[in-house]
Amino acid sequence: MSQEISGISLEDALLNLDELAASCNVSREWVIEHVQCGVLLENADSDPTLWVFGSQSLIRARRILALEKDFDSNPELAGLVADLLEEIEYLRKSSSTKV
Amino acid sequence: MEFKDYYKTLGVSRDASAEEIKKAFRRLARKYHPDVSKVADAEQKMKEVNEAYTVLSDPEKRAAYDQLGHGYQAGREFRPPPNWDTDFEFSGRGFSGTQASDFSDFFSELFGGMGGSAHQAHKHTRGEDHHAKIMLDLEDTYRGASRRLTLRIPRVDNNGQIKLAEHIINVRIPKGVHEGQVIRLAGQGGPGMVGTPAGDLFLEVHFNPHARYRVEKKDVYAALPVTPWEAALGATVTLPVPDGQVEVRIPEGSQTGRKLRLKDRGIPAATPGDLYLVLEVVLPPATTPKAKEIYQGMARELAFDPRKKMGV
Repeated sequence: MSQEISGISLEDALLNLDELAASCNVSREWVIEHVQCGVLLENADSDPTLWVFGSQSLIRARRILALEKDFDSNPELAGLVADLLEEIEYLRKSSSTKV
Repeated sequence: MEFKDYYKTLGVSRDASAEEIKKAFRRLARKYHPDVSKVADAEQKMKEVNEAYTVLSDPEKRAAYDQLGHGYQAGREFRPPPNWDTDFEFSGRGFSGTQASDFSDFFSELFGGMGGSAHQAHKHTRGEDHHAKIMLDLEDTYRGASRRLTLRIPRVDNNGQIKLAEHIINVRIPKGVHEGQVIRLAGQGGPGMVGTPAGDLFLEVHFNPHARYRVEKKDVYAALPVTPWEAALGATVTLPVPDGQVEVRIPEGSQTGRKLRLKDRGIPAATPGDLYLVLEVVLPPATTPKAKEIYQGMARELAFDPRKKMGV
C-alpha cells in the first residue's frame, strides 16, 4: 500500500506567475498578455511579480488556452466565452435543485 | 489494439486539404465542447476528435499514418510492423504528456516515439504538471476524505517510446474544499527528465449532486419540511445536517421560503460558509374523516384568504 499524499488547496498556497505558466504549459509572456488585456486576474497590480492565482484563475486560464487552440480565437473572444461558461455553470447549479 | 480511422472521426475524405481538416475539427470541437454539449458522451467524443486532429493536422504524422493505415479499417485488429517509423524524421512537434494520457493506446503505440516528452512547448526544468477532475460527496468536505486515484502517466521506456503506465496513488483531500477549488499534489505530475523533479498534479474538485443539499460557494442550502402548526406556532425541531444533527428553533409565524441561517455550519473552510435551512410547510393529507373535519373547521373559523390582495 503506497503512502497517502496530502493535497493542498490552491487558496492555501496561491500560484505565482511562473507556477501558473508551468501548470498550463505556456510561457510567462502568454500569462502576462492575458492579464494585461483583462481576461485573466481582474484588477491586477501593474507589477507581474506580485500576481497570485487561485483555483478559479487556473481553471479559467486552461479554458481560455483550450478555446484559443481549438478555434484560433483571440484572447478577448476566448475571455468572453469563458465568462459565459462560468455564468452557465452558476445558473445550472442554482437551478438544479429546488432548495 | 483496434485500428482507428482518424479520417472517419473527423468526417473528412482521405484527400482532404489541411484547411478542410481544420474546419472539420473546429465544427466538431464546437459540437462536442464538454461545457456546453448536449451529446451524452461529449467528453469522450472530444478526446477522439482531438486525437484525430493531432495526427491529421501534422503533415509528418499524417504521412506516416497514411502509409501505415493503407488497407486497414476502423475497429480491425491492428499491430504496427516493427520499426515502421524509421523512414520518417519527426521534427519533434509532438504532443505533450498531458495530451498523451488522454489519447488511445493506438495513438501511443504509433506516435509514442515521436518527440513525445522530449518535446516541450517551453523549456522545463521539471516534469509537466497534470490536471484531472475529482468528484466528491458533500460530506467529504466536512470530514476530509481519502481517495484512491488511478492515473495514466506517460513514461519513456528503454527504447525511447512513450508508454502509458497505470499509477495508483492515495490522496488525502483536505477538509473544507469547495466546488471549483483546485487541490495541488506536489510531485505527482509528469516525470522529470534525468535529474529534475516531477511536475505536480492539480485536481479540480466537483461535488456529486446531493438529494438534500445544494452548495453555493461555501454556503450550503437544505430544505426543512415543517408542519403548518410548527410554522404557525413556532417549534424546536431536530434535523440531520452534513456534520451530524442540529436542533433548530422555528420562529412563530413562519411561511414556506423563510430562510434560517446557521452561521459557520456551511463548508468548514478557513472562513467557514453558512448553512441555510429553507422552510417548506407541508400539509397533512385530508384522507380521513377526522382530518377533513379539522380542515373544514379551519375554513370556518379562520376566514383566511391568501388571494385577498389579487383583487377578485
